[in-house]
Amino acid sequence: MQFRNTSVRWGAVSQLLHWLIVALIAVQVTLGLIGLELPLGMEKLATLARHKSLGITILALATIRLLWRWMNPAPALPGNLAPIERFLARFTHAGLYVLLFALPLTGWIMSSARGFAVSWFNLAQLPNLVSKSDTLYHAMIEVHAALAIALGLILALHVAGALKHHFVLKDDTLRRMLPGRASAAARSGPTADSSGSSR
Amino acid sequence: MPAARATGAIALLAAVSAHAAHGTTYILLPAHSSLTYTFTQAGAANHGRFNTFTVRFDPTAGRLTVAVDMRSFDTGDSQRNRILGGKDFFDVARYPQARFTASRLTRTATGYRAVGPLTLRGVTRTVVVPFTWRIADIDNRTVGLLTGRMTIRRLDFGIGQGQWRSTEWVGNAVTLRYALQLVPSR
Repeated sequence: MQFRNTSVRWGAVSQLLHWLIVALIAVQVTLGLIGLELPLGMEKLATLARHKSLGITILALATIRLLWRWMNPAPALPGNLAPIERFLARFTHAGLYVLLFALPLTGWIMSSARGFAVSWFNLAQLPNLVSKSDTLYHAMIEVHAALAIALGLILALHVAGALKHHFVLKDDTLRRMLPGRASAAARSGPTADSSGSSR
Repeated sequence: MPAARATGAIALLAAVSAHAAHGTTYILLPAHSSLTYTFTQAGAANHGRFNTFTVRFDPTAGRLTVAVDMRSFDTGDSQRNRILGGKDFFDVARYPQARFTASRLTRTATGYRAVGPLTLRGVTRTVVVPFTWRIADIDNRTVGLLTGRMTIRRLDFGIGQGQWRSTEWVGNAVTLRYALQLVPSR
């Protein structure tokens, strides 16, 4: 198994982080929406506590992912892209990284401003990022919700792009983020080692 | 009448000796005292306080009584306060007061251990209240400093009914902290 990225393919670590975060985001959005709807009570407390724990987990995974990407150059974008597609690809990827940090951080600030310290799965209490503030708490609710909507829109672009590459352009863009055999083109391509200069 | 005078003198003597056995009763300086509590909510420590309470302490006679106005609690969050004041938790409408009376006071190296009944949310249980006690001179005034902490289990007193009996999201252990200033009553 190839753990590191190559110039044409994502390694196992990048793939694992990508799909793990996909799964966690799906659960996370569900918990967030349920938590929003529930009436005051223990179910709401539990749902939002799990939402916070998962958010912190995603924040940690996003940090690892960014570090891994920094130590491990990403495969080059396919060569068949128009400038606008190139821009869209870079914009959606950058946007997704920003949101992977901004969503958990605004949630953490929201909880801190409310005066409810965040705990990671009842195992460790995290420090408050800000002191108690009603104004900031209400502002963070708006920001967190707006960022969640932005995540939905950018994710739609990201998925549309992946599907277009796979079904319309019929290239390896989606396949190289999936385990299993790479196409002949990817297999015969050069591999980037840790000193790779493909960046 | 001489007989009446004698009776009066005996009554006076009795009053004096009773007074000696009582010693000094200290009463609370509310503005300089705090009664707070820490509880675990969703894995994180949360704090609250009682704003209105009275304390009377007579070290010589071994008397300590505390009365807390349960309606005066505040956890710094209006939504949570509404739930805590309601039926499932403090139920302040039915149980507006909590009381502790020491029935035994024993000296320790730094203060006392008061043992006695605590009535909270209508449930009475014997608890041990440890505290340090020292007399200080603050602004030319004799002040008794009573400080300490103790842990109770909220479910022992029915604080948490229905779904809130579960301790998964709201912990059973609650730490009470008291930092009180008392002055001799006149």
